[in-house]
Parts: sequence; structure tokens; C-alpha cells
Amino acid sequence: MALLTHHQRYLLRKAIPRLIQYFLLSLFVVFILTPIVLLVFGSLKTRGEMYSRPYTPPIPPRWENYARILGTDIFWTMLLNSLVVALVVTFLVLLICGLAAFVFARLNFRGRDELFNLFTLGLMFPITIAILPVYLVVRQVGLTNSLQGVIIVQTAFQISGNIMILRNFFASIPFELQDAAYVDGCTAFDFFYRILLPLARPALSAVASLTLVVSWNDLLVPLVLIDKEKLWTLPLGTMQFQGQYGTDLALVAAFVSLSAVPALIFYLFAERQIVSGLTAGALKG
Amino acid sequence: MEIATRQSTGIFGARLSRRTQDAATVVLFLLPAFILFIIFVIYPVIQSIYYSFFSWKGFGPAEDFVGLENYKRILTDTAFRKALGHGLLIIVLSLTLQLPLSLALALMVGRDLPGRRFFRMLFFMPYVFSEVITAIMWMGLYNPDPDRGLLNALLILIPGMKPQGFLGDPKQVLGCIFVVLTWKYFGLHMLLYMAGLQNIPREIEEAAMIDGANSRQLLTSVTLPLLGGTIRTTIYLSVLGALQQFGVIWVMTRGGPINASEVLATYMYRYSFIRFWLGYGSAVAIVMLLISLGFSIAYLRLIMRQQDYLGSY
Amino acid sequence: MRNKLFALTCLLVVVMLMLAACKQPTQAPATQPPAQEKPAEQPTQAPATQPPAKQVVVSWWHITTQEEQKVVWQQLADEYMAANPNVMIEITVLENEAFKAKLTTVMQSGNPPDIFQSWGGGVMIEYAKAGLLQDITPYLDADGGAWRNTFSPGALAVYSYNGKNYGVPWDMGMVGFWYNKALFAQAGIEAPPKTWSEFLDVVKKLKAAGITPIALGAGDKWPAMFYWAYLAVRIGGKDAYLNAYNRQGSFADAPFVEAGKKLQELIALEPFQEGFLGATYGDQATVMGNGKAAMELMGQWAPAVQNANSPDGKGIGENLGWFPFPMVEGGAGDPGDAFGGGNGFAIGRDAEPEVIDFVKYLTRAESLMRCAEGGWCIPPVKGAEVGIKDPLMKIVQENALKAKYLQLYYDQALPPATGSVVNDAVQALFAGTMTPEQVAQAIEESAAEELSK
Repeated sequence: MALLTHHQRYLLRKAIPRLIQYFLLSLFVVFILTPIVLLVFGSLKTRGEMYSRPYTPPIPPRWENYARILGTDIFWTMLLNSLVVALVVTFLVLLICGLAAFVFARLNFRGRDELFNLFTLGLMFPITIAILPVYLVVRQVGLTNSLQGVIIVQTAFQISGNIMILRNFFASIPFELQDAAYVDGCTAFDFFYRILLPLARPALSAVASLTLVVSWNDLLVPLVLIDKEKLWTLPLGTMQFQGQYGTDLALVAAFVSLSAVPALIFYLFAERQIVSGLTAGALKG
Repeated sequence: MEIATRQSTGIFGARLSRRTQDAATVVLFLLPAFILFIIFVIYPVIQSIYYSFFSWKGFGPAEDFVGLENYKRILTDTAFRKALGHGLLIIVLSLTLQLPLSLALALMVGRDLPGRRFFRMLFFMPYVFSEVITAIMWMGLYNPDPDRGLLNALLILIPGMKPQGFLGDPKQVLGCIFVVLTWKYFGLHMLLYMAGLQNIPREIEEAAMIDGANSRQLLTSVTLPLLGGTIRTTIYLSVLGALQQFGVIWVMTRGGPINASEVLATYMYRYSFIRFWLGYGSAVAIVMLLISLGFSIAYLRLIMRQQDYLGSY
Repeated sequence: MRNKLFALTCLLVVVMLMLAACKQPTQAPATQPPAQEKPAEQPTQAPATQPPAKQVVVSWWHITTQEEQKVVWQQLADEYMAANPNVMIEITVLENEAFKAKLTTVMQSGNPPDIFQSWGGGVMIEYAKAGLLQDITPYLDADGGAWRNTFSPGALAVYSYNGKNYGVPWDMGMVGFWYNKALFAQAGIEAPPKTWSEFLDVVKKLKAAGITPIALGAGDKWPAMFYWAYLAVRIGGKDAYLNAYNRQGSFADAPFVEAGKKLQELIALEPFQEGFLGATYGDQATVMGNGKAAMELMGQWAPAVQNANSPDGKGIGENLGWFPFPMVEGGAGDPGDAFGGGNGFAIGRDAEPEVIDFVKYLTRAESLMRCAEGGWCIPPVKGAEVGIKDPLMKIVQENALKAKYLQLYYDQALPPATGSVVNDAVQALFAGTMTPEQVAQAIEESAAEELSK
């Protein structure tokens, strides 16, 4: 120790915790990445290679699996369906929850809290049991076997949580702004549309990202509502693909990897927004 | 009311019109959400309450009214208690391991660590994968055959270790599932903590440092208390999430072996759709709803503060 | 201002959409269909002879997902549509689990497909009781039973309830032991065992030779249930089961307890691969198909699945052999009695006569020969068996045909709730958490509740 100058000791004292931090974080990175990397390894192997040590690196990598899936029409059809459903659901959720959250956060009326609490019920009821009544309603309206049916139901099941997030955010915006806007002759809608929404962009991005991910991964609703293969979404396709090529584990791995890619890409783009969106007051301390 | 009273300079007429306007806004803005919610959430809940009073297989009209029989049976069923116990265990593990872990990671990468964006991005990634894909990935890792599952392949490299059953071992299965749930969901909690951390004004911590607080004191007496609201919220979300847990478990183990990983949702699904006791399954769903509701009310009343979450029972 | 107008329009459109979409949300619960059976219509001749042909859309759900197999069904549908231009067959191919989840919801809503995969037995009976299926007995009996006589009676009976048929079989086989001849030879075993004690000796010899005797996917439950049920068939025979089923006897009777005890003798030898309690049937087939275990107890589809789950797609090839489940010394069952089942198609309540005509076309010997040739079915239809090329499949088919009594899989024969209890309880027996008495008692309790209704 005596060999070190005071300054060196200071640097060391700062550097060691950092190194420990990086070490711990690296362990966690391994934990996170292992299953994902193994999936990708598997997707780059041949069928036969999957039966013995599927976890070893694919040498040489076989890109045929990907080529084979991308060469089928049905994959692109399902991708398109999934995109349409996820994007429309996200848009509707933003619109519907935005409007409702605004009312709950910024306007006073009798029964407001009771009504809001009613909406929280949606977080507590298992959707698996709700599927029969839901199916009956959708069938009665004649929207089975249509993407619209899937969209409406998925939207409905996303209302509760997102109203909560947005309401929290809206409530955090100073009331003075609202007063000022009213004094200037704005209507409630003006205030919502011109002032609140632009301010809420980060929170809206966060809600949009989370909604999109949930919709993208939903299996139950499209499974029950859709018969026609042309209207299937990717999670349904994954299940089907497993049945069809269940014994070609490499091909299934490739399909599974591919079906997760769009959601991942979207997430990577929206990631910064999610953090700042949640930061910006959605969950204030 | 608030709006009206704040408008000190308003003329009486203008205030009235503002009120009518607001009323119209309330109705119009709430309508879409309300309609969807009534049809797809409230209506199924009411349906389930109705069915829960019948011995009904789910086909044809429900005719065999049994009153509270289904509920009595639930309360005396040992399998239900076991499922409830597993759910509670997952909750306890989540609160004692998963959340502190998420918090620790958030503290590490939340602030000024170089490369924090990379870690943040990576740690949230599992949340983006669907439950089915998550289950498939982990089933590969847990495969009991060392030639097919990585974990056992690594395990037998250690002298004296034998391959483990993992998901196939009733004693290990719940722990294995908890690891998967942590893998998938800790990122969400970490993100919430990071959001909370960024809301803590830097000046407060700097002031504490200047006052001579060391880093531990800073953490326990400044940072954590200021994160209180976020922590309370994540606990709430974590408990509700654990009570509903279904997809990952169902795909990986179907609640087995010998019900060792059965939780409330798999129990409900088994009775409703495998055994065709939809009346009973509905009653289980209602009990699940009541448990969540009871927890919510108690938690919001006793623990949460108004500004945490803005729900109020 | 334009922005505001745009937003308002959007809002209005959405609200209107919602309102339009929710026209009659309140009366849905009443839509459960009346549970009466629709009176069967008179059988008709081939629709081709009926001008003017009515346009009919047929919905057909099957679970044959494998690429080379599902094209066979598609071809048959295409051929039929070409010959009957007024019929439009819409096929929905679903993976097994997806199929069950979706079918349950659709059935609960009272809207069955015209033709769908069925395994007969308890689940089908539930549908039939609720009036969701069509009684096709008149079609079977028309023209002096012309269609009926093409089927093997035992297989057809699986799709009947109270003397009425609600579906027809296209595949019927039995469970037996598939074994690896090379591994048997390696352990010095000369002939397959004939009795339970011989069987236990074989297991011991294999273990001594360092070979995993049995591949088992007990995580899926039903593969494990096969052992217990087959023992019950051997020990109690036809009578024990039928008495218990008709409620003159009980599933807690001696034969069922004894079955559990015999099974415990096997479990005590620890003959299964590592992690078998959580393993799936797919794992089981992989272990077997890669020569890592000497035996598996499985139905007629086993070789196909073993092959598919091996690196080269050929499984253990020539080394695969088959022997029937060993007899139990002193058991009441005939050693030839078979435990098994197969696949069929059930007919939905609202199916038009054209649907039945198409099902007739599907179950012709000429049609089913194609799946037999592909090695993925054993058609219970006279004349189609010539399509079976694989010698092992022939052995299974012959054994099934010889059987005086065919016991349908317990988990399918019994009401769904009881079947599920059988599977759960037997799994617990394998795990050592329930005694044979408790297993029998648990099954009896459920049977007493479900079968008395």
C-alpha cells in the first residue's frame, strides 16, 4: 500500500466497486442471454444436429431454415396479420385510454373514483375464463373469423392497465396549465388535444410499446376467434408450425426466432421512450 | 368542482357552460372505454358469477343450480389449497428475491454507469418474448438428458454431480419455474425502478453527500425512502401478476408433476376446460378475483399513498 | 382547426364503430342452444343425383398437422369437391392442444363444426348429451347397413352412445410394448416376456447390463396411465371395468388396487430414464428413437413418432420389435384382450346430408388405404388393411383384430373429469406420493360423481 500514492489509492477505491459492478452485471447478462442464444444456435442447425447437444455453437451455421420459412407465403401473411392487429390495437388503446385517462385525471364529476376503481377489476380477472362469454358476443356481432374481432377484444383487455398509467401521468401535469388554458378560452378537448397529448408523448410511447408487445404475443384470442389460416397471426402460426414440423426442432427454432424479431426491433426503437415515458411521471414516488 | 372554484374571474354564465361542456366531455371521452370494458370484462365477470352457482359442464344451458356448493368445495379441496400455497410461495419469492434483485440492478445501471443503455436494453428483452416462446426456450435448458439440456451438461462436469430432473422433479419444479418467471419479468420491475430513480432530484443526494453521508447511508436514508412510491407500486403489480400466472407454467409443466407446480390459474383451467366443470371453474375464477380484490383493497388502504397510484378504495 | 376536426372525426368514427359492434350485447347468455337433438334427416342418395344441387359449405377440423399427412386429407377433399361442385369444404388444421382449446370454446357456445377430430368415448358422450352432435345411425343403417358393414364393429362402437352413432373411426389400434432388439440382445434376453414376472426379470437384466429399460414421458400423464390401465385390463378383465362403469362394481375394487400394486413392483426397479416424471411423450419417443432405452409402452403411432424424433428420421430401424402387454398370473383378463383406441371424425349437430356423404367418401377403403400406406393409420375399414405395408403395423393390426375385448383408453372412455383424475392419480403413483389404494379410491370418488349423473 505504501507504494501507492494517495491519488492512486483514490482511483483504486473508485475502480474496484466499478469492476465488481461490471462483474455482477456480466453474470446477469449471461443469465439473460443464454436461453436466447441457444434458441438462435438451434435455428442455425440441421434437424439431426438438434438431437445431440443442441446447445453447442452451430458450426457451420445453416441458414437454410430461415430461407425455407421466409420462402413460404404463409409466414408473410401471418406477419402482415400480426402487424395489422398489433398496430391497430395500439392505436385504439392510445386513443381510448388517453381519452378516459384524461377524464379521470383532470375532470371532476360525481362517482369518478368509483368508476375508476371499477376499471381496475380488469387487472384481477383471468381472461382464460372470460373467453366463452367473449366468444359469444363476438359471434353475435358477426366478427368471428375477422381481424376486427381480434382487434376489438384485444383492445378491451388492455384498457385497465393503460388507463392507470396514463391517468397517473396526466395527473402529474400542473393544474395551472389547465387553468391558463381555460382562461384563454380553450375547451376541455382543446386542452387535452393541444396541450396534454404533446406533453404526454413519452408516456404514450411507453403505453404503445407495452400494448404492442402484449398484442403481438397474444395467442388465446386469435386462436378462439379465427378459423381461416389466411387470417392467422404469428403466435397461432408458431403453435401450428410446432405441430407441423414438431420433430424438426431446428426449423421450429428458426420460426420462433423469426416471429420474435419484429417485436424486438420495435422494442429497440422504443426503448428510450419507454424509460423516459415511465420516468416522466407515470409512477411517481 | 375544483375547476369551477378555481375560476375566480369567471362570469356565472360562462361557468355554467363550462360545466355542461365538461359533462359532455366526461360522457363522450369515457364512452368508448366504458362500452368495451362493460362488454368484455364486466359482462364475463357477471356471467362467471352466474355460472359459479351451477353444476355445469359448459354445454347446453346451465340448469343444475347448486347454490354455494362449488364455493364450499373449493374451500375444502386440498388441491386448491396446494395451488394457493404455491401461488403464495411465488409471491414470497418474488418479493424477497426478484424485486430486490431488480432494485439492485436498477441502482447499478440506472444512473451513471458507462454502458448503462446496453444493459438496460438487454435486461428488458426477455419481457418482449411471448410466454410460449419463453417456455420453449427454458424447457430446452432444463432437459434432464445431459446430451440435450445445457444445465445438466454443465452440472455433470462437476465431479460427483448427477443429472437433475428439474421440471420433472416435484421438489425442484417450483424453483425452476420461479427462475423462468424472474428471467422474464425482472426487467419490467427494473425499468420501473429506473424510472423512479430518475425522478429523484440529484440535488438531494448531493446535499446528503456534502453533509458527509457515505454511500450506504445515502442508499438507506435518502434513495430508498424517495423510491418508496415506486417500490410500493412494484410490490402491488408483482403480487397481482403472480396471482394470475398461467402461460409459462401451463406450457412447461401443466401444473405437474403431481400438481407440484399447480397454481390458481392452472387449477382453474384444468377444471374448466380439461375436466369440463365450467361451473366449478367459474367459481374458482371468482375466488381468484376476490383474492386479488381483497389484496388490492387492503394494500391500497394500508400501504399505498394517494400519490403512488391514485387508486382509492 | 383542421387538426381538431380530424381528431373529432376519428373519435366519432371510433365511438360509432364501438356502438355498431355492440348492437346486442345483452342477450348473449340466452344463446345457449336448446339441448334437444335435431331429428335425424332421412339419408339421401349421393348429392350428384339430386338436381338442382344446393350449395353447401362444409367445415372440417382435423389435427393431422404433419406435412406429408395433411396433404392426403386435402387431396381427398379436393377430389370430392371436383366431383361435387356444389360442395365447398373448408379445412381447419390445428395442432392437438390448440384444437382442444378451440373446440371446447366453440362447443360451449353451441356452434360445432360439421366434421371434427374425435377420439370417441367420454368427451364425445358429453357433446352428444348436450345435443351438439348429429345421430348418424340412420345413414349407417341405410341400404341394409351398407355403410355400417364396412367398419369393424368394435371400432365403430367407440363412437356410439346409447346405441346411436355420432361419429365414425378412421384409425384404430392398440397399445403394446415397442422394444429395441439390439439392446435386448446386448442384455442377453432371448425372447420377449410373456408374463408380468418375466417382464420384471427382463427389466432387471437390462438394468444389470447398464441399459435404461423403459422410456416414459410421465409428464404428459397418459403414457404413464397406460401401465396402470393395462394391468387393470389384465387383472380384472372386461367384467371388472364394465361393472365399475355401470356402477354395479367400483373402481376401488380389488383388481384396480391390485393393478397399482403390480405397477409399484415395476416402479420400485427404477426402470425409467432420468427426469421421466416431467418428460413429455416427445421426450419419450426421442429417448426410444435414439436407442437410449430398451422399451416403451405405446400405441400404433409409436414407430412414426420415434422415427420423426431421431436425427436421420429412421429411428432404430430394423431393431424395432413389438410384443403384447404381458399377462398377469392369475388375472381374469384374457391375454389377448387389447387396450387401445384410435382416431375418428364426429359429426356436428347442424351438418347437412352432404357432409355425411363426404364422410362416407373419406372412410371408403380406397381413401383410408392412403393413410395406411403412409404408415400413420390402421384403418378399421374392411379392405383398407391391404394398404398397411409395415410388418410391425400388420402385427399390431392383427392383434387388435384378434382381441375379444378392446378396452378404450381410460382417459377417453370415462367422463372427462374422471379420465383426468385417472391420469393425475397414476402419475402420483409413479411419483410415489399415492398408494395403490388411494389411487383406486380417488378414481372411484370421481366416477361415483360423474357416472351417476
